[in-house]
Amino acid sequence: MFRFIGNNHLGRRQVLRDAIALAVAASPLASLAKAAEANPEEVTFAAGPRPLVQYPQKRPLTLVTTRPPHLETPFAVFNEGPITANDAFFVRYHLADFPTSIDPDSYRLTVKGSVGTPLSLSLDELKALAEPVEVVAVNQCSGNSRGFSMPRVFGAQLGNGSMGNARWLGVPLKAVLEKAGVGAQAQQVTFRGLDKPVLPSTPSFIKALDISHAMNGEPMIAWSMNGTDLPFLNGYPIRLVVPGYFGTYWVKHLSEIEVLDHTFDGFFMAKGYQVPDNDCFCISPGTTAAKTRPISRLPVRSFITSVQAGAVLPLNSGVLLKGIAFDGGAGVDKVEVSIDGGARWYRAALGEDLGRFSFREWTLPITFSHKGAMQLMVRATNAAGETQPMKADWNPGGYRRHVVETTHVTVA
Amino acid sequence: MKPMKPMLALLCAVQLCAVATLEAAPLSITLPPETAVFKASELPGYALAQQKCSTCHSADYINFQPPGMSLAQWTGEAGKMQKVYGAPISDQDVTVIGAYLAATYGSAQVSDAEVQTASYPLKAEPAPGAKVDAMALLQNNACLSCHALDHKVVGPAYRDVAARYANDAQAQAKVALHIQQGGAGKWGNIPMPPFTQLSQEDLQAMAAFILQQ
Repeated sequence: MFRFIGNNHLGRRQVLRDAIALAVAASPLASLAKAAEANPEEVTFAAGPRPLVQYPQKRPLTLVTTRPPHLETPFAVFNEGPITANDAFFVRYHLADFPTSIDPDSYRLTVKGSVGTPLSLSLDELKALAEPVEVVAVNQCSGNSRGFSMPRVFGAQLGNGSMGNARWLGVPLKAVLEKAGVGAQAQQVTFRGLDKPVLPSTPSFIKALDISHAMNGEPMIAWSMNGTDLPFLNGYPIRLVVPGYFGTYWVKHLSEIEVLDHTFDGFFMAKGYQVPDNDCFCISPGTTAAKTRPISRLPVRSFITSVQAGAVLPLNSGVLLKGIAFDGGAGVDKVEVSIDGGARWYRAALGEDLGRFSFREWTLPITFSHKGAMQLMVRATNAAGETQPMKADWNPGGYRRHVVETTHVTVA
Repeated sequence: MKPMKPMLALLCAVQLCAVATLEAAPLSITLPPETAVFKASELPGYALAQQKCSTCHSADYINFQPPGMSLAQWTGEAGKMQKVYGAPISDQDVTVIGAYLAATYGSAQVSDAEVQTASYPLKAEPAPGAKVDAMALLQNNACLSCHALDHKVVGPAYRDVAARYANDAQAQAKVALHIQQGGAGKWGNIPMPPFTQLSQEDLQAMAAFILQQ
């Protein structure tokens, strides 16, 4: 948001900036706009505009952090189609000590704990273990869009690019657990990958799913992404795919699965990635949640991808607005667009249905009949009736942002 | 999209052969070099942050945090690194680093009384002429959170360092320089931060001690 398209034509730039100032002066986003004015390239991520950087198997991506690496997908990519290309897919590690060379021939996935038969599977054995299944699913960081939290919070300062949608191919987690034989007392299943903490005193990155979720057929161990091997930085050679759940559960370089007879209490479940345990998963800034719980499903979200903030759109001639919507698995039911700041809403046409965990494209032809600043808004509703709030809610971790997005444009 | 910056163009050129794609061979990548640095400051927390924070993450983790965070907020963040993520820093380090971060990246000023108090805790001066204790130096500079005498932790065992330089007449000077300048790639992927604040005397004492293992 508030990203200005690179343009050396200063005159146009100034026009755009003035348009933005007009558009948002009276809006709740005024403070953000003020920040953007100080730094017209970006919202104020403190070190200034974030550079594009080149990483292996990737096109230039937006830098969040170098070590451990965290890279965002430049937002324009989401207008290319509902599937995010592998070389544009975001990258996020928690811990810096991960291998930079992996031999698929000697790779093993172990399954242990409360199982009848502990397993140590080669990749070939894993692939032969069950009929492969495919799902198109969104992987979104819990902290995607954290940089827009107001008041601001510590943590990776993310724009809207820590999400992506891919076609994953693998075997159901359920099939692997059934092969090992899950004990009757099993409560949770934990997952760890090859990424390790630098210091032994730092908690390991281990995530857990309830046994009922692990066995419901949705979570998958995937080796293929959009028809080819997983890129190294997206978890080569295998990763956990948990459709509908935030990316924190999608453990990369998956190497160890353990079945537990109790609830896992490791840091990244019991303390990290916690959200307030109430209906909105939110609290008022400055207050403390009475109770918290691990983050889980994606809330319904939508974006306009065809128009960037600051765009100048033509008067009295048709414009095709286009974007994406997604949710945690109920499926997108309805996408509505407003061009007057939320007073009237128009229903968009939904694109091809790639499955209930996928990005759903939407389009809406609009003809602007008034000149001046406009606030374009998009709001999705899922099949369970859940929709997006007009005002952003807040939590201390800056997690699961899903407010109705507003794109400020000028019609001229 | 913004035009590519010269630095980026250079990175692309360097990385052309980064990915090994031979069939059935290990997949190997080369990560780009780390270029982010901590903002300089006269405060003692600057050197501490360079050494201790850099053990686990690059400086851009800090550089990109929201502006305007207070001394209490930044000190809280440093404390979180100590208590939650097991950073090898003492309670005193937490306040010294917190003061540097708040004055450099946040809303505090170097001249704030609280920043000064936090940055310069009362410390017993070593007796003049006291002998340099290499083991104490290694302990106090957090070397021992990444190294052990006889086994690899994050960095190599000091015994292995001694073995590598066993026949090198320049060994002590080289090891002292490596401590001072830090480095990467000689022993593994995790870079060692530079320890630029150490005196030559301390560096030589540490290098001599390491090479005796």
